[in-house]
Amino acid sequence: MKKFALSLCVIGALTTSCSSDDDNSGGGNDVVAPATYQFERNGMTSVSYSGQTTRILMAEELIDALKDPSFSEMQLDAMFNHQEGDIDFSDASLNASDKSIRSKTAASFDFFTSNTTDANAIKADFESWIAEQVADVYSNWANTATPGNPGQLTENGGSVRYVNAKGLELNQAVNKGLIGALMGDQLMNNYISKDLLAQFEATNDSETLVTDKNYTDMEHDWDEAFGYLYGTDDALAPQLNQDSFLNKYLQRVENDPDFTGIAQDIYNAFKLGRAAIVAKNYDVRNEQAEIIREKISEVIAIRAVYYLQSGKLTLGTDNASAFHDLSEGFGFIYSLQFTRKPNTDEAYFTKAEVDAYIAQLMTGNGFWDVTSTMLDDMSDDIAGRFNFTVEEAAPSN
Amino acid sequence: MIKKVVLLICFVGLVIACSSSDDSNGGGNNDNFDRSGLLTNYADNIIVPAITNFQSKVLALNAARENFLNNTNQTNLDLLSDAWLDAYKAWQFVGMYNIGEAESFTSNLNGFRVYYNVYPVSLSLIQSAAAGASYSLDSDAYYAAQGFPALDFLIHGIADGDSIPIDKFTSNSNSQGFIDYLNAVQTQITTRTQSIVNNWQNNFRDEFVNNTSSSATGSISKIINDYINYYERALRANKIGVPAGNFSAGQTFPDKVEAYYKNDVSRELALLSLEAVQRFFNGQSFNGGTTSGESLASYLDYLDNSDLKNDINAQFNASRQQIQTLNTSFSQQVSNDNTKMTMAYDALQAAVVLLKVDMASVFDIQIDFIDNDGD
Repeated sequence: MKKFALSLCVIGALTTSCSSDDDNSGGGNDVVAPATYQFERNGMTSVSYSGQTTRILMAEELIDALKDPSFSEMQLDAMFNHQEGDIDFSDASLNASDKSIRSKTAASFDFFTSNTTDANAIKADFESWIAEQVADVYSNWANTATPGNPGQLTENGGSVRYVNAKGLELNQAVNKGLIGALMGDQLMNNYISKDLLAQFEATNDSETLVTDKNYTDMEHDWDEAFGYLYGTDDALAPQLNQDSFLNKYLQRVENDPDFTGIAQDIYNAFKLGRAAIVAKNYDVRNEQAEIIREKISEVIAIRAVYYLQSGKLTLGTDNASAFHDLSEGFGFIYSLQFTRKPNTDEAYFTKAEVDAYIAQLMTGNGFWDVTSTMLDDMSDDIAGRFNFTVEEAAPSN
Repeated sequence: MIKKVVLLICFVGLVIACSSSDDSNGGGNNDNFDRSGLLTNYADNIIVPAITNFQSKVLALNAARENFLNNTNQTNLDLLSDAWLDAYKAWQFVGMYNIGEAESFTSNLNGFRVYYNVYPVSLSLIQSAAAGASYSLDSDAYYAAQGFPALDFLIHGIADGDSIPIDKFTSNSNSQGFIDYLNAVQTQITTRTQSIVNNWQNNFRDEFVNNTSSSATGSISKIINDYINYYERALRANKIGVPAGNFSAGQTFPDKVEAYYKNDVSRELALLSLEAVQRFFNGQSFNGGTTSGESLASYLDYLDNSDLKNDINAQFNASRQQIQTLNTSFSQQVSNDNTKMTMAYDALQAAVVLLKVDMASVFDIQIDFIDNDGD
């Protein structure tokens, strides 16, 4: 009995006490999250993430254009690296924006401020996929793809896929790669980073608002993380599947009975973390950040395994379908280097490990040479670092 | 009952545990560290010796200029170049001290450095001034047309229509304009340097040392802000990051290196700047080899953060090693293999987090130049 009480005491002391002098309000951990992600100051919302919505919409137009051979490489590059005022998008508000996809690709505070060398290499990967799409795939749009030759492949169900010489759909590499390199990295490794947010503790403590805004810097940063997941969704009642990126694949994972509840867990962590910032309780905020990192990383890893396993099912019998799955898997595997192991400074997989997987998938004639064993080994590796099994992640048919 | 007692002990424990970090009234450690000793070491053994050394090099530069203009030939231009480089090297040890009189020069985020070292230099401003356009080196429009970069162009660059650098002062149709401009740039450097030195020697030294307050206006907070600002902007960004394309979506700029017209000293200047930064951190005297007094490093030790001190020194050393692998000319390095430049930038950047986040938090110092990205 005594022992039990003492251990409670220790736990209490560990979690509520004085990790730096963060919470001046004198309260313990009594942060209460509101029912929805709704935060106001002086009767007006203090939530803002328009920059994230903008980037998601830019990325939507880019991945659409990557399936339209009328686009030139220059046009696609300009969509990736938009400059304010240039007419790169069909949506005029995107053209007027000073944001770009490229500037936030592999650009998080935690992973890339001191690693611009890798960041440059990653940005170059996206640019090379775009260039190859135009040079090799668009120019062979009507040809039938064969090992070593780009062109089109038709699934048994009728869908036409356009692949490079190794069977890879480069538009999928860009699409799923951005889920890690843009949304995931910014969300997990930038805007909820305790090192980034530490710079804004003083102004958050004093409730100093950003000039002409209704929020503190720290509140806004947290909202920006939120925006990379919910930027095109209803913040108060997320519907999911509202974009082609993280929001969509959170829904896919949520819809797998093995993972039901993950969407609510993530939403709750965002709400409580934001409420903790308002309450100036940075320990609670940091705890929510770790939850978010773990769950978002899981979404990426689960989908990587899902597509490897899904591709395996039709490999050899319906290569168009298999290559389509493997192309999505390729992008999710690429995204693994942007995941974040909770309570560490590391991704679940290093860039070198990811590069090795990519090289393995692309060796020789790429997907044309891939074997079921290779896909299973890779699936086992990935699931092995997470709290889910290959079976749970795999398609359940 | 037992439970209640345990809880009470537990509560008392909490109160005791938390009382050490209770000063939440807006900044500053109220510890018993010898702040006065730290400031005295910085003023008397590091800052004043560095700026008086710089002053002597500036005066030598002035003499070399006079000599060159009295007898304009290549030999004397080379001597002027030597004096310029000597002064430029000495400058690397003073650029961080934007405090006192120097701070009053400008509210620009780069501080008094705007009158000494803004590059790339604007050739059009210099050449139009030489051609007779009116100008004021005190106006912010001319930050990029004075100081060491302007001298770099005047001594080593080739003006439009000329074939060699010295033509500016001989055969160029605006030669008198170039001579006048050279004099004006030198006068600006000399005058401002004299006034900084006088300020420290007359009264600012005591003001600096006596201002031991832990508040944002205390000397420690101010000098640390200046120090990190210098490290982040002048060293990391301007010397390495800007030419390497880290602030321009990957577009590189071989012409935006320090001392571009001399071209083979950018690495040397960067290494000296890093040396100045590290010696300051460890409190090593300007003249005296490794002897050191109270410093940021010893202050970290005092606050039981020797690990952070070691990490910072290790990162400075890693940065030095990385910079030493670069070409003596950063222009060449950027053009030939920019990855090495970004690796040097990354090594320098890694220390920014240690200084600006970790060290500032240990000292409870508010950094006055943080920008959020405004997305």
